Amino acid sequence: MFEQADLLRLIEGDCSPEEAATIQAWVAADPRRGELLDQLRGVWRLTGGTTREWGIPESHERSERGRPALQLVPLRRRWWTAPWATAIAAAAIAVLVVGSLRVFFNRPVGAPHAYATARGQLSSLTLPDGSRVLLGADTRLRVPRDYGVSSRTVDLEGEAYFAVEYDAKRPFIVRTEHGSTQDLGTEFAVRAYRQEPAVEVVVAEGRVALRGLRGADPVLVTLYPRERAVLDPGGETTVMRDVPLAQYLAWTRGALMFDDAPLARVIAQLERWYDLEIETTDAALANERVTISFMSKSADEAVKVLAQVLDVRSTRSGRLVQLIPVHPRH
Amino acid sequence: MSEPLRHALPTPQPVSTDPTHTWESAFQMYYVELCEYVLRFVGSAGVAEDLVHDLFLCLWDSRARRGDVDLTRSYLYVAARNRALKYLRHRRVAAAWIERAAREETPTASSPEDLYLRSELADAVARAIAELPARCREVFVLRRHQHLRYHEIAARAGVSLGTVKSQMWRATVLLKEKLAPYLFIL
Repeated sequence: MFEQADLLRLIEGDCSPEEAATIQAWVAADPRRGELLDQLRGVWRLTGGTTREWGIPESHERSERGRPALQLVPLRRRWWTAPWATAIAAAAIAVLVVGSLRVFFNRPVGAPHAYATARGQLSSLTLPDGSRVLLGADTRLRVPRDYGVSSRTVDLEGEAYFAVEYDAKRPFIVRTEHGSTQDLGTEFAVRAYRQEPAVEVVVAEGRVALRGLRGADPVLVTLYPRERAVLDPGGETTVMRDVPLAQYLAWTRGALMFDDAPLARVIAQLERWYDLEIETTDAALANERVTISFMSKSADEAVKVLAQVLDVRSTRSGRLVQLIPVHPRH
Repeated sequence: MSEPLRHALPTPQPVSTDPTHTWESAFQMYYVELCEYVLRFVGSAGVAEDLVHDLFLCLWDSRARRGDVDLTRSYLYVAARNRALKYLRHRRVAAAWIERAAREETPTASSPEDLYLRSELADAVARAIAELPARCREVFVLRRHQHLRYHEIAARAGVSLGTVKSQMWRATVLLKEKLAPYLFIL
């Protein structure tokens, strides 16, 4: 017959299907057992992340075949990187050391939180100080564990929109590969994809200071609302005033807008947004500049619109899209 | 333009409240979560993995028809739950359990705010674990945090398998009492 201790096996999944069914029947026969089960699950939820280490099945590899692997930092982190877990881990380490039991926690304590979006995905988050961030597609944001203690510095690769709670004592800084952006009380977007050489900053509200990568680097430029700066890898800054925010920030509302933009930029963004690989055989096409917008969630529709504007034929097979010219270009 | 943005941010439209995923990002994001969820229904990790695996395979095969980008968290949970309940019925598991499982709630999406809130629980949880009797604590930490198997813990601590299991049970019950006020808040 069963004992209450068998409930742990059910929670951890250490049962054959037959055993599980028998324990389940035993639980269901008495509401008090169900109540106990719920309480034990509560302990499990509080004291760790997942109940066990889950394997990644072949179904995943199947999708990976024939295309580059996607680098993705999981949003749902393992328990030992969760903020509350460090304290537990620390306590556990102390305990185990006292017990002279050798254990190795090979995760560095104080590892930053990493948030990431895949291609074709947006995500929003609120930082502990109430500042809000909207992550664009294919973007990674690292928030240090001591965020907000004495400084608020985050690392960005990709595109994000920030609505920052201003705090003069603890400046909010977005570091990217080529430069850093310091908020001076504001809402702004930063774009720094690894595939693109420049960092771009657009300010919607307030003020933003742009500096070189080292914190001590002098402020290169201060931006005000409706201003957009492009910081190229050589350290040159170009500022555009009175830019159409609706266009540069369209992505925050789930749309993409381009005004006289190089086709390569449009294609790169569509690839991220709809998780596609877009190819064209015609070199002349690559030099085109286009004015175009995409509002649809459907990749097919976006490809159709692009093909129409470019006056080309398009074929799509899975993620791969080909643009094929129908008329010779000049 | 500057004003509406502030309001637009918390629920960016239309993608972010329950963003649509490609198969790939859905898999990356939800595979483990869904296994955990289905485990609550079926109680066997192998079965849970099989069911979630089948779900993703099925979604992979129907990619062409669906047009790739309409997977949402809520869709995945409903699909996983249906599969779990169907499995229980098929196995003729006790009707009372199926009824109980059917009331299982979909976990709410864990936002960074939740994680922040959880950080406030860390002290209480860490203290409760630290206050466990030494032997209990060792076993519990090795099992729960290092994911060691029971026989590995037995070998490591130099005690019998039965002792490991009884210490694990003891630790869980003690924690249940110490953490009673927090058990259902997440």
